[in-house]
Amino acid sequence: MIYSELLRESWRAMRTNRMRTALTMLGMLIGVAAVVAMLAVGNGARASVNAVISSLGSNMLMVISGARTSGGLHVSSGSTPTLHLTDADAIRGLPGVAAVAPSSPQAAQVVYGANNWSTSVLGTSPDYLQIRDWPLARGSNFSPSDMRGAARVAILGQTVAQNLFGGADPVGHTIRIARSPYQVIGLLAAKGQSFGGQDQDDTVLIPITTAQRKLFGAQFGDTVRVIMVQAQGPELLAPVQDEVDALLTQRHHIAAGQDPDFNVRNLTEFANAAASTTRTMSLLLGLIASISLIVGGIGIMNIMLVSVTERTREVGLRMAVGARPADILQQFLMEAVLVSFAGCLAGLLLGIASVLVVNRLFTMHGLVTAGSVLIAVLVSVTVGTFFGFYPARKASRLEPIEALRYQ
Amino acid sequence: MSEPLIRTVHMGKRYALPAGDLQALADVSVAIGEAEFIAIMGPSGSGKSTFMNVLGCLDVPSEGEYFLRGQSVRSMDVDQRAHLRNTLIGFVFQSYNLLPRLSAVENIGLPLVYAGVGVRERDRRSRELLAQVGLDRYAGFLPPQLSGGQQQRVAIARSLVNDATLLLADEPTGNLDSHSSDEILAIFERLNRERRLTIVLVTHEPDVAAHARRLIRFHDGRIVSDTPVDRAATIQRTVVA
Repeated sequence: MIYSELLRESWRAMRTNRMRTALTMLGMLIGVAAVVAMLAVGNGARASVNAVISSLGSNMLMVISGARTSGGLHVSSGSTPTLHLTDADAIRGLPGVAAVAPSSPQAAQVVYGANNWSTSVLGTSPDYLQIRDWPLARGSNFSPSDMRGAARVAILGQTVAQNLFGGADPVGHTIRIARSPYQVIGLLAAKGQSFGGQDQDDTVLIPITTAQRKLFGAQFGDTVRVIMVQAQGPELLAPVQDEVDALLTQRHHIAAGQDPDFNVRNLTEFANAAASTTRTMSLLLGLIASISLIVGGIGIMNIMLVSVTERTREVGLRMAVGARPADILQQFLMEAVLVSFAGCLAGLLLGIASVLVVNRLFTMHGLVTAGSVLIAVLVSVTVGTFFGFYPARKASRLEPIEALRYQ
Repeated sequence: MSEPLIRTVHMGKRYALPAGDLQALADVSVAIGEAEFIAIMGPSGSGKSTFMNVLGCLDVPSEGEYFLRGQSVRSMDVDQRAHLRNTLIGFVFQSYNLLPRLSAVENIGLPLVYAGVGVRERDRRSRELLAQVGLDRYAGFLPPQLSGGQQQRVAIARSLVNDATLLLADEPTGNLDSHSSDEILAIFERLNRERRLTIVLVTHEPDVAAHARRLIRFHDGRIVSDTPVDRAATIQRTVVA
């Protein structure tokens, strides 16, 4: 039988039982819409995790001032500075280390003209931009002489620049941080949100030396809160981590069995774990959605079985006028596939529409990819063929005489 | 002597039933030539329907042989028999068996679908046949919109659309009033005469059988008589009864 004939016949059968066809399609429609939406959510989550990971900087270790026992009390890590600039310099000398950025954040009020803004001022080194993989939008990085001379220079994050300068170029202007004037020498490119949902662009960078000597005051001395270390390659992360650990243990005179006053953390590992969690989650969502596709398929099988029974006489007649079993099989199979395909198309539309609506309502970043559309189409046609096959075969194996006699 | 259209040799059909085998046909040996018009009679359960099913290649004999145009139907597979039904045989049923959602023209063209004939050619041939059974004005009608007699005429047109040589009619007038019945029988007679179509017709009614030229009677799966129809005598008997 020619395909155009098959299509014509199937279309006619579907049209005759409009309500039934619509209900059968509904099962498929919901399944496909669910798959598309779930995959979109999963893709969106993965994309945002990936963005965060790359914004974090690559091959990065973080050395954090550790828990120190003070008067029998454990104090949480990072709260009391135990790391020094000299530690950072020592780490810079280790093999496999590409860059080192000691840094100490401090909340401060920044003022330009009539505008002021509370932000986090980070004292750090020029390496910071390399480690965080954070390009400058304008201006320049700190120079060695800025570092040595503890110059009053600042690099602004986008949020701070926006709030102090509106859209204008801040480079070359002078802002005030804690009442002292600082010259803006650079503007960072936009970075977006961090893991914790913090705005990473809401920051001002100044040289660590300036921060220590002129901004934060005496209580910090030459301590730093965090030392960021970048290894020269991902394979060097673990050895560098061990070396840093050994070096600081020795420098801080930590005896064996004693708790160290610092922590070395591998952020890339952490990020990879987060990424794989998201992957697992989207896989799970996809699986759950596929179950609804299978349920839709069973619906198709049900209806096709009813349809075959109802049209037993028709099958008998078609056989009497010369239809071969293969013709009958193809006819019913085509009907099942057509119903599931139509349901699939409608489901795609619904799925994509719902992703768009959800994105708008909840500022999510659901992503419908060509891949997920392809998966939905392939699966639904497969489901239609699979679940349509049994009823179609049943029809093709009818005995013409008995089928004609069927009431 | 050349091979007749139909030849059965000690043909039998046995059905395996839970209550024991049923011998529906036994030792049927008959030859039917081209352009014959045969009526088959017999009480219900006498095997006449089984005989028709076997002749129509809807069923296969379990014993003996059935040659259609010299070919043994018993040794054919399902697809070959489907091909014979499609190209050589036309069926007319008591209950018409038209597909309710197809128009008259589409119903007539149905066998051509399985012969691989395109939609335009199908339409042309179907309309031609519809005109031959006098229904040219009803081409687009659906079966439920037609009377019984009209539906049966559409069914006859369908059976002829593939230029069948053998027309098998199982109680074709069983559901019709006497007027429609006469019309259908007139069409059969004309087809038999003009197209040299071989017609085998099962009926309960003697006056329907009277239109045929040869009468075969079945009883208990066997042929009990095979005689030329004496029209006058048959009609006479009907009147007396």
